[in-house]
Amino acid sequence: MKSTEDVNRVVEEYADMVRRICFMHLKNRHDTEDVFQNVYLKYMLYQGSFESSQHEKAWFIRVTINACTDWLRNLSYRKWLPLEIVAEECGTKDSSSGEILEAVLQLPEKYRNVIYLFYYEGYSAVEIAEILGRKENTIYTWLSRAKKILREQLGGEWT
Amino acid sequence: MNELQRSMSEIKASEELKADTLRFLADQSRAERARSRFYMPACAMAVLCLFLLLGTGGYSLYGRPVSYVSIDVNPSIELGINRWGRVVSANAYNADGQQILKQVKLKNLPYAKAVRMLLEYETAENFLTENSLLVFTVISENAEAIAGKLTGLSSPLSSSVLMYTSDRACMEEAHRHEMSFGKYRAYLELSEYDGSVTLEDCHGMTMGEIQTRIEGCRGHGGGGSPYPEEDSREHCGGHRGHGGHHRGMMESN
Repeated sequence: MKSTEDVNRVVEEYADMVRRICFMHLKNRHDTEDVFQNVYLKYMLYQGSFESSQHEKAWFIRVTINACTDWLRNLSYRKWLPLEIVAEECGTKDSSSGEILEAVLQLPEKYRNVIYLFYYEGYSAVEIAEILGRKENTIYTWLSRAKKILREQLGGEWT
Repeated sequence: MNELQRSMSEIKASEELKADTLRFLADQSRAERARSRFYMPACAMAVLCLFLLLGTGGYSLYGRPVSYVSIDVNPSIELGINRWGRVVSANAYNADGQQILKQVKLKNLPYAKAVRMLLEYETAENFLTENSLLVFTVISENAEAIAGKLTGLSSPLSSSVLMYTSDRACMEEAHRHEMSFGKYRAYLELSEYDGSVTLEDCHGMTMGEIQTRIEGCRGHGGGGSPYPEEDSREHCGGHRGHGGHHRGMMESN
């Protein structure tokens, strides 16, 4: 079991990222909070060790995505997204940001993950392939298709 | 900052969510420690109990005889056989028998192998000769199968072989008189023909001598015995076998 110091550190370090990934998948504050806590519980009980901070971050990304997928599978969760939730979470006055977020959140799950990891977290396709346990070419294909969908929806706003 | 980063920049974990999470994890940590404190000794104790139960239970089951064979020539030896056909006890009821058991280790052997070793040793040491009478007496729910196997083992012998069955009550009675139940059965049979014979007399006689006297009594009217020669009457619950390869094959009533 991980020490209290380790737990405090990773909560400070990865909380925003875990929260974002949870929201991308769950689109609901209560579910997000439940899965968020479950991810940290998994960390606290995790027996292994991490080679580096990159390794630790990748572990959090993978575990959070898996936890969200499991949660959705168990709930047969709704696929639609209330606009007010996007507005609430987005918290910006800029309507284009809201549109982008809404478009990303409506992407199929696999595209959502690669778009987030590529554009938000700044991972390369090779790194994303490693985190998601997929082939590099698959990631390139998903990225390309996801970008195409976003371009179709957002027009020139998305490059 | 790209457009996606800008659109998601406000999605953050609130301080409240972080604090709730840390509280939740602290509770879970305490619960986990309590579970470990309780379960570790409980599991260790359960495993220990299981081992003890399996160990003592298994050993007690293994060591419990369910069948008995009394092998009497002059040496009188009784074998206790467990449910898996292994010899779990070997007791001698006279000096010759004790001498043999000092030399031949029979425990844990399959009973057929044990009896074969016993007969080979008795033959080699001249306890069993062509003039001897070998008597097997079996107590078992599966007496016929055991008797069949023993008959097969004894068939190469030049001596005469008789086979009987008996029961536990007869065995307990025999043991009270420090006699094998095979020889005790023979004593009971003889005493029916000859009321003057005593247990002490039989203690000192070979099975051949007892059988000769039984047949002698039969030949002379057996002291008024009411039984025909080839009977299957009970002696302390036992049943006599007759006929067969040498002189005896069991007949179960």
